[in-house]
Amino acid sequence: MKVLIKAALAAGLALSAAPSFAQDTIKIGALYPFSGGLALLGDESFRGLEIAVEERNAAGGINGRKLEIVRGDAVDPNQAVGEARRLTSVDKVSVIFGTYSSSLSLAATQVAELAGVPYFELGAVSDPITERGFKNVYRTNPTARMFANRMVSAVAEAVAPALGVDPKSLKIAIIHEDSLYGQTVAGYQQARAKEMGLNVVETLPYSAKSVDLTPVILRLKSAGVDVVLQTSYQNDTVLFFRQMKEQGFKPKAVMGAGGGYSLRDTMQAVGAENMEGALNVDFTQFRTNPKAAPGIDEFVKKYEAKYGMAPRSGHSLTNYMGAKVFFDAMAAAKDLSGPAIREAVMAVDVPEGTTATGWGAKFDESGQNVRATPFLMQWQGGELVTVFPPEAAVAEMKTGVGAQ
Amino acid sequence: MDVLVQLILNGIMLGAMYAIISVGLTLIFGIVRVVNFAHGEFLMVGMYAVYLLSHHFGLHPYVSAVPMVLMLFAIGALVQRFIIQPLLGADEHIQIFATVGLSTALINLALLIFGADLYSVQEPGLRKPLSIGGYTVLYAQVVIFVSALVLVAGLHLFMQKTPLGRAIRATAQNRNAAQLMGVRVDRIYVIAFGLGAACVGLASALISPLFPVTPTIGTYFVLTAFVVVVLGGMRSMYGAFLGAMIIGIVDSLSGYYIAPDLKEVVYFAIFILILIFKPTGLFGFGRGTE
Repeated sequence: MKVLIKAALAAGLALSAAPSFAQDTIKIGALYPFSGGLALLGDESFRGLEIAVEERNAAGGINGRKLEIVRGDAVDPNQAVGEARRLTSVDKVSVIFGTYSSSLSLAATQVAELAGVPYFELGAVSDPITERGFKNVYRTNPTARMFANRMVSAVAEAVAPALGVDPKSLKIAIIHEDSLYGQTVAGYQQARAKEMGLNVVETLPYSAKSVDLTPVILRLKSAGVDVVLQTSYQNDTVLFFRQMKEQGFKPKAVMGAGGGYSLRDTMQAVGAENMEGALNVDFTQFRTNPKAAPGIDEFVKKYEAKYGMAPRSGHSLTNYMGAKVFFDAMAAAKDLSGPAIREAVMAVDVPEGTTATGWGAKFDESGQNVRATPFLMQWQGGELVTVFPPEAAVAEMKTGVGAQ
Repeated sequence: MDVLVQLILNGIMLGAMYAIISVGLTLIFGIVRVVNFAHGEFLMVGMYAVYLLSHHFGLHPYVSAVPMVLMLFAIGALVQRFIIQPLLGADEHIQIFATVGLSTALINLALLIFGADLYSVQEPGLRKPLSIGGYTVLYAQVVIFVSALVLVAGLHLFMQKTPLGRAIRATAQNRNAAQLMGVRVDRIYVIAFGLGAACVGLASALISPLFPVTPTIGTYFVLTAFVVVVLGGMRSMYGAFLGAMIIGIVDSLSGYYIAPDLKEVVYFAIFILILIFKPTGLFGFGRGTE
């Protein structure tokens, strides 16, 4: 009997000791799609956050308090809302990091905003996430509009000089798959091209489920298009490159907006020699000049040591960079309440070229990082290498697409 | 003018591809009277098998057409025997839901096994353009076109000239009367469903060099195939073939002259018009047959 009582007392002591330990940590929510169709890149994104947290904890945490990750699995927008509620009300996390997918972020940020919990978006590109007048939502990564602007500017700043022609003399075509992603990016591209006085001769939406893009290619061919800007998924990218070759259409440059253009599978299905020279605008990838992106090589080393494989995409790097920026802001804030974090985030001032993605950090009133610019990359010899801007480039940009 | 000829040529090639898929659907639809929503997923299964055979055993996709036809025949026959047969007496909505369920299950099974990545049969030689008087077609497309002609003519002869073909037609025309004449209707259904699926087996081998395979590749084709079947008059092989040609050419022309994202609007508009003015399809047997 005495033994039992002693055991019970010991257990009671152990229980009462637990909360005092928890007070020494800061709970942060990690809201990503960990299962379902988006899981691969959702998990890849999370790994960036995880490495950033371990690094921070090893260096003493935030003002002496260690970070503790609480995961939320957001498979679809409904579940994103449910998990955001759980994180804010049951687990009582101080802040939430996420989300990879725009539709998940749009849903989850509403919950965080109502609960007054700061939400740090590290990877979703849809512009409206930071355009709804929310006070607790911040984003480090570039938006769809920034992707579109970079693509159109790159025509004038990189493609035209490489060809040695006046940008206004180039005939540009915008083609895109006709779901929200393609529509959004193409809309911004048109606006930007008009602003810059460039000559857009064709804008052609098509279904990503098309089994034949020959009519699109023949239209581009008869219009004498020089530069094609495509916003696409994987299947339609493969189809476009194959049929472009079959129809003998050889534009001077083809540029993609991430999506299908960034994936190694696409290059393999198309063939390295046919994908040669294809340009692409996306988050910072690993073949980037470390002088413009200090820390990128160290990140890859840490990643390989922890997961035993090379990073599967640039998503981890993007999340890593964003998480570090926000950790610094959390450390600078006088407490972790919404208004204090906002004050600290607004004071962030990181120059470009000093983070592992090469981006800087400076937030506008909407919470969007205005110093995040996606780089221009190119497929060369089966590798996606950064070619523009010059300080981030590791290779010279080539002109033309496919075997010459 | 040059572009017009190229577009029509392209449309015919596209039509031939739809034809092979639609002829199989016509068989199932016209004889077993089941709307097979899993038809596209049969194609997907076939394409994965062609990829695996080519990737692991170096089998040329055209050689794997033989095992594909046999495999898909078996899958079709099994589906009929164990999924559709028990539901033959049930409401037709229930049969439709059974095939929709099968379709969803197969897509998710493929996602589980292969993931969302795409796989491509590496036969670039088949994608070589052949230049005919300045117009471009691919070697693989010509093969598809010839195969479609042979398949349609062969199935037609089979239906008209062989005892089994006659039994199948008798079953399609009047199930009860056929049964009274000593036709084993259940077995005919199993064979017809198997034949329909076998056509997709042929299609999977022929189109693998042109399209990379993903879990949802079937959905790219199947909606168009349904339009073709109804357009062709549900039960007619030639109808399905001509229907496929019409859709292929309309697809190609409207993609160029109107807009690539509006081509579905154009052929669905044609489809609706035909349903209004000729409800049994362009080559239908008349209202009484359905």
